[in-house]
Amino acid sequence: MLTNGSKLLLAAATLAAVAAIVYGVTQDGTLGVVGLLSAAIALGLLAGIVIATRDGNVSAMDEAAAQTAVATHVAPEGNVWPLMVAGGAALVVLGLVTQSAFVMLGIGLLLIAGLQWMVDAWSQSASADGTFNRDTRARFAGPLEVPLLATAVGGVVVFSFSRIMLFLSKTAGPVAFVVAAVLILAGGFLFASQRSMRSTAVAGVTAFAALGLVAGGVAAGLDGERFIEEHETTALLREESECDTTDETHADENASQTVGNKAAVMADITLDSDGELTSKAPGQQASQRIVVGRGNPSNIIFHNESDEPRRLTLTMGQRPLLDEEGEEIDGQTTPDQRCTALAEEGGSQVLTFTIDKRSAVADEPFELTVPGVEGQAIEVVVP
Amino acid sequence: MTPPATVTRVPSRRRLLFAVGALVAVMLSACAEDAVQDTWQPEGENANRIHNLQWPVFAIAGVVGLLVFAAIVWIVIRYRDRGQPIPKQSHGKPALEIALTILPALILVGVAVPTVGTLMALAETDDTECSVNVYGQQWWWEVEYPEQEGCGGIDREFVTSGQMVIPTGTKVLISGTSRDVIHSWWIPALNGKKDMVPGRVHTVRTQADEPGIYAGQCTEFCGLSHANMRMEVVALDPGDFETWKANQLKPYAAPEEGSVAAEGESAFISQCARCHVVDGLDDGGVNAPTQFVYSGTAPNLTNLMTRNTFAGAMFDLVTDECRERVWEATPEEFGERYLEGVTPECLNEVELRAWIKNAPAMKPMYTDGTKLGPTDGRSRGMPALGLNDDQADQLVAYLLERN
Amino acid sequence: MAIIERPATEPVVAPTSTPTPTVTPSEAFGTFRRPVETTGWRAWVFTVDHKKIGIMYGASALFFFVIAGLEALLIRAQLAGPEGTVLSADVYNQMFTMHATTMIFLFAMPMAAGLANYLIPLQIGARDVAFPRINAFGFWCFLAGGIVLNLSWFLGGAADGGWFMYQPNASVPFSPTNGVDFWALGLQIAGIASLTGAINLIVTILNMRAPGMSLMRMPVFTWMMLVTQFLLVFAIPVITVAFFLLTFQRSFDASFFSPAAGADPLLWQHLFWIFGHPEVYILVLPSFGIVSEVLPVFSRKPLFGYPFVVFSGIAIGFLGWGVWAHHMFASGLGPVSVAVFATATMAIAVPTGVKIINWTMTMWGGKLRFTTAMLFAMGLVVQFTVGGLSGVTHAVAPSDTQQTDTYYIVAHFHYVLFGGAVLGFFAGFYYWWPKVFGKCLNERLGKWNFWLMTIGMNMTFGPMHITGLQGQPRRMYVTTDERAGEGFFNILFWNSVATIGSLVIAVSVLLFVINIVHTTRKEPTAPLDPWDARTLEWMTTNPPKEHNFDTVPTVTALDEFFHRKYQDVGEGDAHDLQRIATAEEILAEQEAKADEHIHLPSPSYWPLLLALSLPVIALGVIYGLVVSVVGGMLAIFAIFGWALEPATADDSEFDPPVDDEPSTELVTSD
Repeated sequence: MLTNGSKLLLAAATLAAVAAIVYGVTQDGTLGVVGLLSAAIALGLLAGIVIATRDGNVSAMDEAAAQTAVATHVAPEGNVWPLMVAGGAALVVLGLVTQSAFVMLGIGLLLIAGLQWMVDAWSQSASADGTFNRDTRARFAGPLEVPLLATAVGGVVVFSFSRIMLFLSKTAGPVAFVVAAVLILAGGFLFASQRSMRSTAVAGVTAFAALGLVAGGVAAGLDGERFIEEHETTALLREESECDTTDETHADENASQTVGNKAAVMADITLDSDGELTSKAPGQQASQRIVVGRGNPSNIIFHNESDEPRRLTLTMGQRPLLDEEGEEIDGQTTPDQRCTALAEEGGSQVLTFTIDKRSAVADEPFELTVPGVEGQAIEVVVP
Repeated sequence: MTPPATVTRVPSRRRLLFAVGALVAVMLSACAEDAVQDTWQPEGENANRIHNLQWPVFAIAGVVGLLVFAAIVWIVIRYRDRGQPIPKQSHGKPALEIALTILPALILVGVAVPTVGTLMALAETDDTECSVNVYGQQWWWEVEYPEQEGCGGIDREFVTSGQMVIPTGTKVLISGTSRDVIHSWWIPALNGKKDMVPGRVHTVRTQADEPGIYAGQCTEFCGLSHANMRMEVVALDPGDFETWKANQLKPYAAPEEGSVAAEGESAFISQCARCHVVDGLDDGGVNAPTQFVYSGTAPNLTNLMTRNTFAGAMFDLVTDECRERVWEATPEEFGERYLEGVTPECLNEVELRAWIKNAPAMKPMYTDGTKLGPTDGRSRGMPALGLNDDQADQLVAYLLERN
Repeated sequence: MAIIERPATEPVVAPTSTPTPTVTPSEAFGTFRRPVETTGWRAWVFTVDHKKIGIMYGASALFFFVIAGLEALLIRAQLAGPEGTVLSADVYNQMFTMHATTMIFLFAMPMAAGLANYLIPLQIGARDVAFPRINAFGFWCFLAGGIVLNLSWFLGGAADGGWFMYQPNASVPFSPTNGVDFWALGLQIAGIASLTGAINLIVTILNMRAPGMSLMRMPVFTWMMLVTQFLLVFAIPVITVAFFLLTFQRSFDASFFSPAAGADPLLWQHLFWIFGHPEVYILVLPSFGIVSEVLPVFSRKPLFGYPFVVFSGIAIGFLGWGVWAHHMFASGLGPVSVAVFATATMAIAVPTGVKIINWTMTMWGGKLRFTTAMLFAMGLVVQFTVGGLSGVTHAVAPSDTQQTDTYYIVAHFHYVLFGGAVLGFFAGFYYWWPKVFGKCLNERLGKWNFWLMTIGMNMTFGPMHITGLQGQPRRMYVTTDERAGEGFFNILFWNSVATIGSLVIAVSVLLFVINIVHTTRKEPTAPLDPWDARTLEWMTTNPPKEHNFDTVPTVTALDEFFHRKYQDVGEGDAHDLQRIATAEEILAEQEAKADEHIHLPSPSYWPLLLALSLPVIALGVIYGLVVSVVGGMLAIFAIFGWALEPATADDSEFDPPVDDEPSTELVTSD
């Protein structure tokens, strides 16, 4: 006599196999079929194992005893999973109306909560003893739950930390690091110097610290960051030939405001408060030109010391204009440009570029300009 | 419970120790003469600074090493098991320990102070009198002289490769980077090495006291032909340097009509110009090395015959006798001999022709068209052109005129 | 899953009463019983006994030592003369990459792990390590990683970017074969072994010491291994991250190290060397520990300045984290960074020097017996000093810009690694062989082994100091006439000498192998305490019983075993050490007090299975993610099996001990 569990698994395996066939017939591509077939095989395998080991399961071997056993009459304990499943369902519906992100969250919650509900149900009817049941459940689910939960918690903590660090400016960053390190050291010292500590105290302090970190991360992350939207970078500005704009675009919003200590750059280009643009390369005098090797990836830093947000734009002649599908439109060209994100007043941004043509054979000279600032240009010479 | 037999005859141990000691002494005294990349033969201010810091440290280290070795020898002789009773179970003398900890620390502080001073001096870039740019790529060096007031005044950029020419007694600042992987610029006689990293620009101070040719090698593993990536710095008197500079900047001299060299010019345009540049040559716009070579450039051949190595300084452009004339010249003779360049009599025609016809056979490079998927079909290095002898003749004739 | 329900003895309808179960979870789930063989190959493959695992680590490490040594011989053959043709440029690049990688990750680290696994529980009076199954898992992981790494030779070419694998040279356009992928993934797997082993040993050392053994009464070998394990715990995650970035850069089109995307190739260098520098201390501290054991025994004196040796080891462990950029002095760091790291590097020379002083002073005034183990230990003191002093010359950063990437550096690290780590391991072999295998290695062959190795080593690496300072750079597949200099003793000459020296080393290693074979066949059984040693591992049978100690000893002093054998009966300042007991008597005393029931961890299948799933995942990253999914499922299966297997096999399931053999198996309850 098959247990309920094995019946469920067999049914799921059959369903997956049927779905695989239907999918294969109606849809293109093999990924879905492969996935569903693998699911069918895996479920079938599990069903096989459950059926093969059912001699240890009283409810399968001796139905009468199972009917009268205490375990099958024990009332289930309080449980949070039904609430979670309901929440998941609600999120899915909400997401269908608002953002698709909620749908994904909801489905994830449904899967996790549903799985936990199943595992709890099984374990609670394993025997008449609650302690035994809980131990059993921990034994089975632990190897999967603990690493996954740890990864999730660790991921959230790390992500929050990263959002905080991206938010801080160049000078505040090291200060924050030092403060955090001092706190950890002090905490560790306090911990080590106690003869004994209540576990609740340790748990409390750790939880407090983690919560603070997550809260800080959420706050920093929300400040200017979109929720799971795809980032636009300055590459988009290049594609859409918007490098000449002085307005703040999507790309500028999402750009990191800190230049992560870019060292050993080719040149530092400064727009000073008088609106003059100069270039300084290591070991050389300040000038109005830079020399860049052909075909060489080069980094320059733009320092904006004026009193308005500015970007630096490199113009390298003209390139063919592309239509929506990426095909060239005959006879039409557009400036070939690269640019930095908008640098705030007193800020810096990096520009990475590679020039393939020699200046000598180029139609127009290559130059670096600041949109909105007239008459200032740095000549880019490629010998 | 006797331990296994351990006694060895004393005389044989003493003889062995003596032999080892003699061997060490021989080794320390036996070095190559005139190794061109010898780090203990500085020829310029920066290398001198390093050397003056280096040899005292070696001396101190040598003394310490000898002390330890002597102590061990003494211990072996004096404290062998001769049947004496089990010795005093001393657990240590803290005072001795602390003293012997503080002493090395003090010596090291004494070493650290001049180290930091030399370090800072070598990182100085504000006193530059001549700027040269250097680009490393697999597996050759490009040298570029930007327009500047230094180096005696340069009115227009120009590009060479493989040999960097500088005026003597001048504070030259080399600014270098790489077009592909990390390389390293090292001319031992003139300064320590500096890595050339793509996306970064690093500076190396260079100054040569006397005219001469100073050899170097790429010293950061950069792939297949890392061993074949060499370069030289040539130092000329300021007067000779002006001559050399003017020669580099002179306008293009087309070959005589109907000569073999003229045919070579057409061959060059059809076979070579898509990667190589000769300033002033009208190649009809075919030059597009970024489509053919992964690092995006090939050596500039405008004045090939004014330098005496090629293919990443792997091969000499000159025959062995002519090479010796230049490399073994005294500082007084050197400038004149170097400025002679490569004459038709001195040309190393065999290797140059072989290179032109089938470069990958002479230097390991990635040019097999069937395997260039990861680099989008672009080669790393010069591919085999499959030229016949006539074409090679023409090209050699044309190149001989590039001086 | 099988859920076992014991129905209540009376039909019960009230749902509130809960009878106590007669079964605990560990006994209830018996789908897979634990393996119970104590002889044959299964006893080795499923073992969790730290001694067997230690022997397996050692044997595998020796095998890889020979492989890496052959790779080195090929390198030297190629460089024996100018414009060599033994190896092509491509194969040469693979050869030196794999030589370094194999020597470091597949020989030195596992060998230290093997010695630690075998000896630490014995030295601290424990019966096994804290997590025996993880111990087994670590070994199989290392073996799997080593095999994945070397599979590359047969599957398109080995990694060819140097063991340091600098970016961007190691990215796909510049290293198009799968060699680097195999390298990163194989080492990733082997890294898991090191990490789990480290956690295991730290917990063991901190928690399972015999009563009375405070930290300052532990043998120095255990102390040095403790520091090494802490270094591993913090260093391995760094290289794990680096390998992940590398794998993602190569296999999944990431741009971590692409300059055209704005990345900085120096990121890789920093990550690698933050691991790489503690790594070299990981390689050499175990040998420092071995030497600190061997020298006192054969000088008949305790280690001079035990607290200083211990604290200098800890100091090296800490300071080792602050010096990584001395591998990057020529990489374009600014002068301030270089100055800081140069100073820190000089600082770290001080604790290392303290150890040399202490070892020398241990021998000073002693009663020296020059057994092979002692010769190797003394060899370490001399050779490591040479290597350490050349290291001090590199600490001077401007000097280093002339020395780095030349053979002078090759000379330095071979003196500290060969002259340090390898000579230390050999001292350990000759010292502990009788305890592990019951026979002493032949001393005559041993002495030949030592002298040939010393002469060969100095012939090979000594001249490299000269050739390096005279301008021979590293990692070059040919030497040329043009750069070799004039005169008889030029760079070419010294390269030939080095090649001959490498052959001498090869002969000495061959002698060692011959020694092992000869000893196994011909030598008589060794006495219990052949060297009159000082530490607890000698207070056992030869080889130790499976449960190590019949009764856990109580420790009252440093060098506990020595104090049980000898007593100082001198008066006042005079000393007069008299023997009060022999090793056999002490052992008999322990056996008389033997514990009634000793429960040892049972063997298990799951560590092996889990370790086998990792190469499958790795191969999937290279050849197709479907394979990785299969590997992942295997891993999950193995994790569940591990968690669900019975805590122990039933005693009755084991073969009963054969009566006439000394008991080498579990003491079963009856």
